Amino acid sequence: MTSCIRDKNIDRVVVAACSPEFKEHVFQQALENAGLNGHLLSVANIREQCAWAHEGDVTEKALELIRMAVNRTRLLQPVEEKELSVNKGVLVVGGGFSALNSAIQLSQLGLPTTLLERESTLGGRIRELENMYGFKTGPMIEAAEGAKNIDILTSAEVLEVEGKIGNFMVRIRKGAEEISRSFGAIVFATGYETEVTDQDFQLKPGVNIISQERLAQMLQASSPKGRPQTVGFIFDFYDENSRFPTLATLSNALAIKQKWGSEVYVLCRDVKVDSEGADQLYREAREHGVVFSKFEEKPRISADDGRVKVEAKDVFLGEDMTLICDLVVAEERILPPAGTKDLSFLLSIRTDSQGFYQDENVHLYPVASERKGIFFIGGCRGDLDFQRALADVSSVVMNVYGLLSSGKVVVEAEKVKVDPQKCVACLTCIRVCPHSAIQLARTEGEKEVAEISDLACDACGVCAAICPAKAIKFEGYSDEQILAQIEALGAP
Amino acid sequence: MDVLVIGAGIAGIASALGLADAGLKVYLVEKEAAVGGYAASLCCKATDVCSGCSVCVVPEKIKQAVTHPQISLLTNSTVQRVGGEVGNFCVEITQKPQYIDTERCVACGLCAEVCPAEPKAVYLSSAEAIPFSYVLDERLCLRFKGESCKLCGESCSTKAIDFERKPRGQELNVGAIILATGFDIFDAREKGSLGYGRYPNVLTGLDLERMFNHEGYLKLSTNGKEPKNIAFIQCVGSRDEGHGYCSQVCCKYAMRLAHLIKYQSPDTQVTIFYIDLQTAGKGFAQFYQEYRESIRFIRGVPVEVSPASSDDLEVRFEDISQGRVCREIFDLVVLSVGISPRKDSWDLARILGINLADHGFFDTKEILNSNGTNVEGVFLAGTCQGPKDIPDSIAHGMAAASKAMQALTVRGR
Amino acid sequence: MRGEIVAFCCERSAYPAADLAGKGKLCYPDNLRVIRIPCAGRVDAIHILKAFEKGAAAVLVLGCEDGACHHITGNIRARERVRYCDMLLKEVGLDGGRVGMFNVAPNETHKFVRIVNEMNEKIKESGETK
Ligand SMILES: Cc1cc2nc3c(=O)[nH]c(=O)nc-3n(C[C@H](O)[C@H](O)[C@H](O)COP(=O)(O)OP(=O)(O)OC[C@H]3O[C@@H](n4cnc5c(N)ncnc54)[C@H](O)[C@@H]3O)c2cc1C
Ligand SMILES: Cc1cc2nc3c(=O)[nH]c(=O)nc-3n(C[C@H](O)[C@H](O)[C@H](O)COP(=O)(O)OP(=O)(O)OC[C@H]3O[C@@H](n4cnc5c(N)ncnc54)[C@H](O)[C@@H]3O)c2cc1C
Ligand code: SF4
Ligand code: SF4
Repeated sequence: MTSCIRDKNIDRVVVAACSPEFKEHVFQQALENAGLNGHLLSVANIREQCAWAHEGDVTEKALELIRMAVNRTRLLQPVEEKELSVNKGVLVVGGGFSALNSAIQLSQLGLPTTLLERESTLGGRIRELENMYGFKTGPMIEAAEGAKNIDILTSAEVLEVEGKIGNFMVRIRKGAEEISRSFGAIVFATGYETEVTDQDFQLKPGVNIISQERLAQMLQASSPKGRPQTVGFIFDFYDENSRFPTLATLSNALAIKQKWGSEVYVLCRDVKVDSEGADQLYREAREHGVVFSKFEEKPRISADDGRVKVEAKDVFLGEDMTLICDLVVAEERILPPAGTKDLSFLLSIRTDSQGFYQDENVHLYPVASERKGIFFIGGCRGDLDFQRALADVSSVVMNVYGLLSSGKVVVEAEKVKVDPQKCVACLTCIRVCPHSAIQLARTEGEKEVAEISDLACDACGVCAAICPAKAIKFEGYSDEQILAQIEALGAP
Repeated sequence: MDVLVIGAGIAGIASALGLADAGLKVYLVEKEAAVGGYAASLCCKATDVCSGCSVCVVPEKIKQAVTHPQISLLTNSTVQRVGGEVGNFCVEITQKPQYIDTERCVACGLCAEVCPAEPKAVYLSSAEAIPFSYVLDERLCLRFKGESCKLCGESCSTKAIDFERKPRGQELNVGAIILATGFDIFDAREKGSLGYGRYPNVLTGLDLERMFNHEGYLKLSTNGKEPKNIAFIQCVGSRDEGHGYCSQVCCKYAMRLAHLIKYQSPDTQVTIFYIDLQTAGKGFAQFYQEYRESIRFIRGVPVEVSPASSDDLEVRFEDISQGRVCREIFDLVVLSVGISPRKDSWDLARILGINLADHGFFDTKEILNSNGTNVEGVFLAGTCQGPKDIPDSIAHGMAAASKAMQALTVRGR
Repeated sequence: MRGEIVAFCCERSAYPAADLAGKGKLCYPDNLRVIRIPCAGRVDAIHILKAFEKGAAAVLVLGCEDGACHHITGNIRARERVRYCDMLLKEVGLDGGRVGMFNVAPNETHKFVRIVNEMNEKIKESGETK
């Protein structure tokens, strides 16, 4: 093929053969080898979508498919590749477990990282976990503070994000100051919040009704005065996000058995054991005498002489069960952290149906967002246990490293392009672009027109279809090229 | 420096893509003729609205991997020996003879037309197989039974067939090794009382997935009709004495399949028997409410499946909410089988010098690093380390890539 | 009229599904003409109308399942446009339902074939196929 293109001075190629799905790149390479731009190629799919898909003689159809491809190919223009430089710096928003670990790993790979935490100290919620896994937060924070290419900003907040992948301009408030910095990519690791659900109880959380966090503190304190005789845990009634509460309950229930020797009752709907090691913990807890009862409806809780009365309909026994506890660990909801709504609006990124970051679109999992160069990891994108959060961390490190490590990215230049002459700056494309790849720019003639970033564009063509002025041309799929294929319908 | 990835399931593919995108050269070694592992044979569980099962991500990643210039794919290949250490492993690989060259085969099917063996010795394994090529099965081919037949070779217009190919050995030098050999599906025959393998209308979840993929809808093998009253039995081969873990995928696939069945034929009854429903995780809660309305859930453990009248099946189960044993008749029983460790894991563990954990999955060294093993430079990806669904396998695969990258970078300094 | 069905197929979903149907030798009517597009959202009303002008009996726009579009909202925009074209066609007297937007995942071969068959039946009923 290559020599034929060269010898006959061919300037465009139609391959009538198998589907382009797995072979287009091979043919494109052949064109490139002959010195022809790889985009000057159409593939007429006369195998999968013609010969194999029908019975009988389909020669006519094959010829028509080829005519369609020829018509398109006539109008093809070369698309050149271009190298763009990108900023190697990474902004990691958050200062918890996920954020700290990703900053450390990124810096080890040589990418300068800025860690931005809203609170005055680092650590996030990992302190709650020290007890469960027996690891210490201190060394992790020290490692981040000690690394020479990690810049730590505490008591800081993201105010505004402009620009695109490779060069995001971020306005940051740090204390009373405002600073502006540029980054190649942004990783959000803002975690989650918990809230004790009290609306169904007659009692507010207090001395006898506590959160997991409070319990963890009590367990860490050497020996509590007046150990509770009976402890009840309640979880998994409010919503489906109960992986964390399940893990916390299982490990804390075991800890209570071992440290205090109390009677422990766990009241829940389902035990969410779909995380690593959870079923094992569940088993151990039962072996240590923790009693689990499952209910379809929320238990009722009321005060009973300084103790707490829990009433529920037991599925095992099929009758009402009443439990008097000294201590009840109440159900907690896992919520997106405050500010998630504002930040996602600011970034024009959708949240999921429960308000966490990252749209529920399988093609974005695990850590991507609809905007290239912006990632979400850990608790801020949903109910992720510790092992899953860790996989997110390393996964985002790989993604970011792949994007930025060489400091430059090769892109297809102006594949989708706005014609400044035709653009009337109506902003429609900017509004509809799912990847936020378009912005207003000033031309030499001082006119404001839409401009597409080759780096941020994902080549979907939504803008080209919607532009009322028909100012956007998508090379390979332009209106003319699509219409030319239709022109060939039926015409012999 | 180059990296070796063993196993081209979705986790191995994710690792390979991560490293290749960062500019490394990757050898992706797959034991079978086609890549993708289990995930490539699963079905889309969307109604017209995506149910978030992630199966459609798989063909896309496969395409990216097989067309990636930095990835060398070696199918039909296994690792025989590994020597050396991180930064400088020497790996011996054997490739089974590929009598039909996948690069040359255009899948025209002429060879199968002329093959006189019964059943045919040259065939396409499945429509979704990638690489998409005919394969020659030694066990069926007359030539390998001593006859002199060479009809297929003569019929092939691209000269893709060569009977003389021998197993090919090669040595690779790599800096790090990622193990992504995946899982074995639990063999439901081990639970004899549930009747799999004995009664034709007892199927596994995987059978159902494949039936949807190949037929587009369900039908009973006994009468060719659509089933009208279906039971799903959860935790078959998970969360029991021999398997002290939750497989993490079966509750969700069962609910998604049940919903798809209800969508296709609303008058079908679907009942799910479960211990605890695993409904946590991104993108699932929004469907669960709908599922609760259309599917009947019974918290209970079926103890026995036995034949009732004609082809129907009787399920005897302990209904936990009523605290007694009940019986009910169904025309199809689906066993939601889970993820088990591969039975041949031990071979690789020995070759690589790594350990197996209690349940039989590969062992990790530290609690904070589920990719690392006791051998520096050897990392785990995907379900060979423990049960995971597709998104989690991809994340874990990327994480393994990242760990390998870091190991090589730190050494490179 | 010759009765072609023009199918604009998203290269991430319906196009591979069509390929897979061929690989599995699932037969469908040979009046189907697939035009590969990067996303269902690329399809514009003029493309659809042009197909009818050139004698197509029906037009299908095939994109990802709702909620699984690679470009998040591309398939939703396509649906709006198809609805608009359907309305226009009704106004010029072509009975409704000749243009449709459907969701197909890349591995849903059977759904792809079913959609094509159903559309073909529909145009056959109105007597416009060859
Ligand atoms: C009670 C409980 C028990 C748990 N038990 C277990 C268990 O046993 N096993 C297990 O595997 N997992 C468990 N988890 C889950 C585990 O805590 C999480 O997986 C992990 O902490 C996630 O870390 P992260 O970094 O994503 O979030 P976090 O640790 O919450 O860190 C987020 C950080 O971001 C900061 N931040 C938030 N918004 C902004 C903003 N806009 N700008 C700047 N900074 C911001 C916050 O201040 C915080 O410091 C448990 C969780 C809870 C609540
Ligand atoms: C019935 C069923 C339904 C499911 N449904 C869903 C679903 O709807 N959604 C979802 O997210 N997940 C689902 N899953 C889970 C999903 O299948 C797994 O998450 C996924 O396949 C794991 O990928 P993997 O790469 O880890 O393993 P595998 O898919 O097992 O891939 C491993 C690969 O390694 C190869 N290999 C093995 N040993 C060697 C060796 N020694 N040398 C070379 N190569 C080797 C194998 O041939 C295989 O190709 C389902 C699972 C089952 C059983
Ligand atoms: S249901 Fe599964 S395969 Fe189908 S579109 Fe959604 S994620 Fe993809
Ligand atoms: S996912 Fe559901 S069925 Fe599977 S092992 Fe876990 S609890 Fe059992």
